[in-house]
Amino acid sequence: MKKYDEKWEDRINALLDGELSDTDAEALKSEASDDRLLARAIIEAYQLQQAMDAVHVERAPASLRKRLNAVPREQNAESRTGFTPRLFQPRWVMALVAVPLAIIAVNLMQPDTPSTAEIAKAPQDLAIAFAYLDRAGSITGREIESNVGHTMADAISGSVNRTIKFSNEHSKEKEV
Amino acid sequence: MKHSMMTKLITGLFCTLLSLPAIAQEDELKDLPGYVDFGDLSALYGEPKIIINLGGTMLSFVSMMSSSESPETADMISKLKGVRVQIFETDSNTDASKAQFSKVKGNLKSTGWEPIVQVNEDDEQVLVYMKMQDGNMEGMTVMVVDEEEAVFVNVIGQLNPAELGQVMNSLDVDLELDLDP
Repeated sequence: MKKYDEKWEDRINALLDGELSDTDAEALKSEASDDRLLARAIIEAYQLQQAMDAVHVERAPASLRKRLNAVPREQNAESRTGFTPRLFQPRWVMALVAVPLAIIAVNLMQPDTPSTAEIAKAPQDLAIAFAYLDRAGSITGREIESNVGHTMADAISGSVNRTIKFSNEHSKEKEV
Repeated sequence: MKHSMMTKLITGLFCTLLSLPAIAQEDELKDLPGYVDFGDLSALYGEPKIIINLGGTMLSFVSMMSSSESPETADMISKLKGVRVQIFETDSNTDASKAQFSKVKGNLKSTGWEPIVQVNEDDEQVLVYMKMQDGNMEGMTVMVVDEEEAVFVNVIGQLNPAELGQVMNSLDVDLELDLDP
């Protein structure tokens, strides 16, 4: 059907442009008298041609024509100076950068869920941190003991613990 | 030449983007009042021997896992918002660490941290500071430097030192660390 339409179109255009021989023109008109669709296609094409002829053609401004004429020259000049791959054109570079940026941004917005290995390692990390806190406490106790004696050490370290404990209890009371 | 610059620019941008999650996590802790900036000693001592960064999400997981075996431990961990540890080997060169101690100490004093313990020996220094805000403990920091190592510990959130031993036992972790004071 499509090929049939195209064949019609070529013949109708040739007819309207006066490019068909007399024999072919008569043959087409004869076909149109028996085929309403073909006749209608010829009429519509003729009306379209008349309408196009009636359109006033205005000459483009000189500045625009100058710029349009310069386009092929610029392209030729670029091709002479070196080949610019399409991927390195600014718009493609921006697109290449924007895609991973969008993916990473979406990932960053996801909740930070630790992996199984990280979760398994976390208690060990926490124990190491607490072990060093404990070590600092031991050093402190030892220093106090060596400087002011065992009794005073207990009193002072106990006081420190009480201070910290009071802070925690005070926090708990505030929470309640 | 133009393409080479463009390639470098894109590569640099990708590297920056890949490091964003770590930066974001660090920034999250930095906003908390109990956070302490220890500075950077890696230029002098190299990469830290131990570096630990446990954020709120990870601590929530640990707390959740401990809840069935030890509710007390789970309760204590649930009050923590972050735990950071940096340990550098000093190899008897303690001058830089002591200088960093002084710098951090100055920053702590100016930002409302209270000194709890301070030990100044020739071969060993210990500093323990605590941050309180509106009657609540916001953080604790412990710094230790001796001939072998410089230790920086920052606990963000509420912590009762008297419960440390209990928590360490309940975590049931074998530590192969030389922690003898």
